[in-house]
Amino acid sequence: MKRIALFLARRIAGGALTLWAIVTLTWLMYWSISPQPGRFVYPVGIKITDFQLSDGAHRLGADRPKLTQYGDWWWHLLHGNFGHQWSSASLSHNVLTTFPIAPTLYPSLRETLCILIGGALLAVLISVPLGAISGRRVGSVADRLISLGALIGVCTHPIVTGKLLTQWFGIDLKWLPAGGYCTFVKHPTPAGYPPGYELCGGPVAWTTHLIMPWFTFAFLFLALYTRMIRASVAESIHEDYVRTARAKGARERRVMARHVLPNASLRVLTMVGMDIGTALGVAVFVEFVYGFSGLARLAINAMTGDPIASATDLPMLLAVVTVIALIVVIGNLIVDTLYAVVDPRTGAADRPGRTKEIAAGVM
Amino acid sequence: MTAVERDAPRVAPRAAWRLTLGRFLSERAAVASLAAFALVLFASFAGGPIVSAIVGHNGFEQFPYATNANLDPAGVWSHVPTTTQVRLDEYGAVLPPPKDASRTLMVLGADGPLGRDEFIRVLDGGKASIEVGVFAVLISALIAVPLGCLAGFYGGKVDAVISRLTEWVMAFPLIFFLVFATVHLTPTLRPIGWGHHIPAGVPMVALLIGVFTSFYPLRLVRAQLFTMRNAEFVDSSRMVGASGLRIIRKDLLPHLLPTLLVWGAVAVATDMLLEVGLSVIGVGVQSSTATWGTLLAQTTGTIYNAGPGGGGHHTTWHTVWPTIAILVSVVSLNQLSESFRRAIEPWRR
Repeated sequence: MKRIALFLARRIAGGALTLWAIVTLTWLMYWSISPQPGRFVYPVGIKITDFQLSDGAHRLGADRPKLTQYGDWWWHLLHGNFGHQWSSASLSHNVLTTFPIAPTLYPSLRETLCILIGGALLAVLISVPLGAISGRRVGSVADRLISLGALIGVCTHPIVTGKLLTQWFGIDLKWLPAGGYCTFVKHPTPAGYPPGYELCGGPVAWTTHLIMPWFTFAFLFLALYTRMIRASVAESIHEDYVRTARAKGARERRVMARHVLPNASLRVLTMVGMDIGTALGVAVFVEFVYGFSGLARLAINAMTGDPIASATDLPMLLAVVTVIALIVVIGNLIVDTLYAVVDPRTGAADRPGRTKEIAAGVM
Repeated sequence: MTAVERDAPRVAPRAAWRLTLGRFLSERAAVASLAAFALVLFASFAGGPIVSAIVGHNGFEQFPYATNANLDPAGVWSHVPTTTQVRLDEYGAVLPPPKDASRTLMVLGADGPLGRDEFIRVLDGGKASIEVGVFAVLISALIAVPLGCLAGFYGGKVDAVISRLTEWVMAFPLIFFLVFATVHLTPTLRPIGWGHHIPAGVPMVALLIGVFTSFYPLRLVRAQLFTMRNAEFVDSSRMVGASGLRIIRKDLLPHLLPTLLVWGAVAVATDMLLEVGLSVIGVGVQSSTATWGTLLAQTTGTIYNAGPGGGGHHTTWHTVWPTIAILVSVVSLNQLSESFRRAIEPWRR
């Protein structure tokens, strides 16, 4: 027990270090590109005077010493406060109005987590039986078909999968909504909307809107995990302990479920831990195709900047990056804990085979 | 010398690379993927000019009469008028083309409201996409091999810094770094190119993808050197007084080649797909240059213009053609890499 606690403590420290490093890297990258935060205050396109630039930066507090700003940001974060976004700042009557980040961030986080968790469950649920079927008889027709499917899955960019799915099932066949997100809880119509207007929501609408994103997300990982489970099953099916289990008279299903697949689960766990970052990269494209305004979309928008101001919204970017890094770190922590539970041998040792597979150009 | 030895026919021992080549060529999947990729290469680099010469127009020319009055593009295998000016009546309505207008063949129809040849654009797009993939792989190899050798051979502090850095970057979705860097380097780097041979924007995208993906080969090289640095042949080189750099160059680098070849084939495919991702987001090669990414982006829209470009005047086929091209080349490259690996390491099936 103590060993597991020590192991987790080390992992938490490592996670905190990763979070710090990612945020600091983003920060350094931002300030190394000669940014113009003043543009957010005076969005007048390309013709902006030097005075407006410096005055805008001053009003946003972006002209303070860099270290002060950096420390300030962490201070706010430790109080659970992401600060205010720069884009959508507006100056009128000499008063600058800015909007807080949290109300934009949390709904986006919810959308992304819906895609991530649902898609990951789907991928694991489908890939385990496929991998088991394929790995049990290497070279059979089923194995060849599944392997070919996996090869195509690994090579298909999520944007292509998503585009074809929306086109066929959303636009041509009209079976499912072609895009957009619906909340799980149906909210009452806010004031100011025309009578009879209803907000989209409820469990059924939520599910139908998410089915295609889940499949798009899962397709890539499905292929990766099927391949890996196949390799693991094909390896361990000839081991002595499997033969012993068969010799004792255990049924084939029990042999697979109790003796062969648990061995594969170690590898799956290792991969899941490393793929959390990749998953957020895939989420960019899933959100993109289905018109979600999730976390990844928010990050891309903050980076590419306001189309008018053409500048990077640093507070928003840092907030999104922090949340993404937190997802990666917390996800890894969960995976590590599960790993320590599943495999009693681990404790201080590192997870084996820390090489990451790359697929479909998303890393 | 015994009689048997003397009388035995003298057979030169076969070189290792010949054995490997033999193993490679004896596999059906290997030959098939090699042929498929060769076909893709030929189609991308020679296909555009050949088809242009046959049908008499190139992928940049716009034919207003290749679209109908609603700006919907002409379909597959259509002969469109070559009239370059739209004729309008006195109310500004579009008149049909003159009866005697000469016509030209568009094999896959027009690409959208602009009325360019989709087939030639898919072929030309392959050229730019493959160039991105190959250049990016070369750049990341140039970065990864020296750094990986330093980290793997010397270990210690250099290794600690390099591996910590790669771990941090790999934990985070790469696409964000890429988009961030691309957005801010576009004004300076995107105009670089060499005519139609290397379209403007390709060097920039290749450079950025190459730099940001170099962490993967770096780890590969480092891991391989870790296992080799205490091997006997390294020790014996050290014993005769070879310096570290000489050992790396003469003894270790040749052993890295197979690994790099296996990685390179997959990495070309991966980098091509990364280019697709960047173009679809809208920050890669400029949208007027045909790459497989920009051809797909036309139908999906980018962050700068939401919804399909040109007001939705695209059909499913405009997604399907680049998709087929991408799929064929990426699948064949993946299979090629797998076959390389099997030929090089036959003991690890």
